[in-house]
Amino acid sequence: MSEIKALEHATLKVPYEMLNKRFRSAQKIIDREVDQVTNVSRQVEKALEAEGPILADVTKLMGNVAQKLQVLKRKAEESIADELSVTQICKRKLEHLKGITPPNSVTGDLWQGSVDQWKRIRLDRLVIEHLLRMGYYETAEELAARSDVRHLTNLDIFQTSREVEDDLANHSTTKCVLWCIDNKSKLRKINSTIEFSLRVQEFIELVRQNQRFEAVKHSRRYFPAYEKTQLNEICHVMALLAYPADTEVEHYRKYMDPQRWQQLVLDFRHENYRLFQLSTTSVFSAAVQAGLSALKTPHCYTQTCRNLNCPVCQEDLNRIALKLPYSHCVQSRLICRVTGMPLNEHNQPMMLPNGQIFGQMALPDITKDDGTVTCPVTNTKFSNPKIEKVFVM
Amino acid sequence: MDNESWACASVEKDLTRVVTKLEQLHENASADIGDIASLMSELVKVLGKAEQMVTTFNSSTQVSATPASGDDPMGDGVSMQVETEPTAPQRLTDRQMGIIREAILKCNERVQKLSTEHRDLHGSISKIGKAIDRNFSADFTSTMRVDVLQDEDNLMLLNKAIAKHYCRQGMDDVARTLIRECKMPEEHAQDVFDSEREFADIYGIWVKIQKRDLTDALKWAKTYSQQLSDRHSLIEFRLHQMRFMQLVSYGLESQREAIAYARLNFKKFAVRYEREIANLMASFIYLPSGLENSPYKLFLGQEMWTELSFIFLKDACQLLGISKNSALSVVVNAGCTALPALLNIKQVMQSRQVLGMWNGCDELPIEIDLQPEFRFHSIFACPILRQQTSEDNPPKKLTCGHVISNDALHKLSNGHILKCPYCPVEQNAEEAVRIYF
Repeated sequence: MSEIKALEHATLKVPYEMLNKRFRSAQKIIDREVDQVTNVSRQVEKALEAEGPILADVTKLMGNVAQKLQVLKRKAEESIADELSVTQICKRKLEHLKGITPPNSVTGDLWQGSVDQWKRIRLDRLVIEHLLRMGYYETAEELAARSDVRHLTNLDIFQTSREVEDDLANHSTTKCVLWCIDNKSKLRKINSTIEFSLRVQEFIELVRQNQRFEAVKHSRRYFPAYEKTQLNEICHVMALLAYPADTEVEHYRKYMDPQRWQQLVLDFRHENYRLFQLSTTSVFSAAVQAGLSALKTPHCYTQTCRNLNCPVCQEDLNRIALKLPYSHCVQSRLICRVTGMPLNEHNQPMMLPNGQIFGQMALPDITKDDGTVTCPVTNTKFSNPKIEKVFVM
Repeated sequence: MDNESWACASVEKDLTRVVTKLEQLHENASADIGDIASLMSELVKVLGKAEQMVTTFNSSTQVSATPASGDDPMGDGVSMQVETEPTAPQRLTDRQMGIIREAILKCNERVQKLSTEHRDLHGSISKIGKAIDRNFSADFTSTMRVDVLQDEDNLMLLNKAIAKHYCRQGMDDVARTLIRECKMPEEHAQDVFDSEREFADIYGIWVKIQKRDLTDALKWAKTYSQQLSDRHSLIEFRLHQMRFMQLVSYGLESQREAIAYARLNFKKFAVRYEREIANLMASFIYLPSGLENSPYKLFLGQEMWTELSFIFLKDACQLLGISKNSALSVVVNAGCTALPALLNIKQVMQSRQVLGMWNGCDELPIEIDLQPEFRFHSIFACPILRQQTSEDNPPKKLTCGHVISNDALHKLSNGHILKCPYCPVEQNAEEAVRIYF
């Protein structure tokens, strides 16, 4: 399985879901306008069926038809143009995925520089997605602008979610309710309960403000729709009517907790991912963990063996990687700790008397003119030591 | 690679189909609906005229019934309707009714057609979705048994790594925004700006080369000229070569400048790059007909510039003794290599129902084939047990010089006597020494 096939599902799926949504709303708009046209045209037909239709009336009705047709034309053009613009987003992303430049036609080599460049862009994309998921919208925007990758990200869909989240954080359900209505059919398909949670929150707020009668009205209006699935919850929530807003009863206090709004933000985020078929963790976080694991060796956790160039040996990443599995290795891969060169037949591994192994090529570096050898790991000095060759299979 | 392009191509095929259909529909909507709409307004106009004519006719009783103009869709039909009943409301003639009926029929047909045709797109659109699902894997999660990035502290450390990465590239403002937005504790934030600063300059030049601006790069190369040539780096010549070709590509008017540039800068490379210089100078031959049609067109493409910037980055970092990749980018790129392999093995393990085997050990189930530049530590795997050595099972050197793990040594020895598995030397197992890589 190649990298693109394994990691880029969301890159394409998100614009696809957008296209799908645009298509549906376009269909709705077109159907509505078509209905309008057929309605007025039916009126014309009716007028014609009457005994001796009056010219002025029919002219007026015909005028309506012409007008509605113009509206239909304009709206149809607009919506289809909308759909086309989303296909452009899909296309640009596809182009980018295909973008690893084909091998040099003359030498057949891959353009190393282009691959490197592509990977840098990929890193920026992945980081931006991660930032968006964490809710760091400003950083994401700024980074996208600085590295010029906006067109390859999903910033736009997260922009809407940012507005909704901000609204929720300000203890208002307005925008989130609108969002629910906007995505009604899809939310129903994924069995989302987010709208119910919002209605419950609205109910709670009414109770908090001691508008209990309003709260009852609210519940009559919205709760019956959920009686099949959420009856239990509804009963619990309704019981709030009987308690004061600052109730000490644990079970009810949790409803009154303002923290519940924070939970709503998270719930909303989660539902938004599901809507676009994004998985709950980002590719970035999966890649970071897999990468740390692939690089992690027992050496990274042995004080004397650390290598400053190794990411896992760096303090912060070292702590993140603590619980991750080590890399797996069935074939020895030896690197000289002095020169960083691989140990092989051209750079034989040599053993100092204290059991430390270095490459043959490193020996001049650690040997003084008088024949004293200093072990760079333990700092032990040996004068004219016996240095033995070792054989690694 | 082939597999990947195939996956993209199959999605693209379905996408292109939808685009074509949408464009067609867009055109149809404009043409068909526009057509019928203008026909309707024309009809309304004519009907209106007819109405008016009657009123004028009634008030002035002047018979000046000028017939409608030639492109009038109803032609004579309208002028014929003129009746002389003064008070009764004007009624439609059969002919007019026929024309209106026809127009309405056509209108209904067209709008229905638009709606149906648009609805028919649904199939093609959902095909794109299916192609994506079929060719790309949606589930890259649960390749790890534990998700350490659920933990708040670890997430903050990751934020720090991200901030460091961008700070390293000179994007301090991005790092600062992140620090503010994630409310990074002061002691972490301090660290971010302490990290290596040399890279930012190199990175800045790298970006400029990609934008085809060589000024800073050439200045840098001049400063480090001696060190670069000591290291046999090609970069200084490559930069001059590119600058020269850039001048040449400006056309005939900059010819003089290009020659002057070559005389000034190529001198010190004359011996080492004799062939290349000769090659470059020959480009003047093609100048009148344009470089695009010459063997030199390669120099005009963006790939050459990307490649040049890449070599610059590599050589400059090597010279300064810093890594050209940040810790974060090494980790993520290694992860992107590892994930497909881990997904594959997960699928295999799932299908054989041995997924449980993964849970038992604290190692990845397979070896990830990383590029040599991503290897930072020696790993010794015992050739007998096919297992990495550890503190509990360290590597031992036998007296003959062969290295095996401690466990293997105990398994192979018979009392104190051990026969080396690689050479015929019999030895005392006690004499093997612990070694460190």
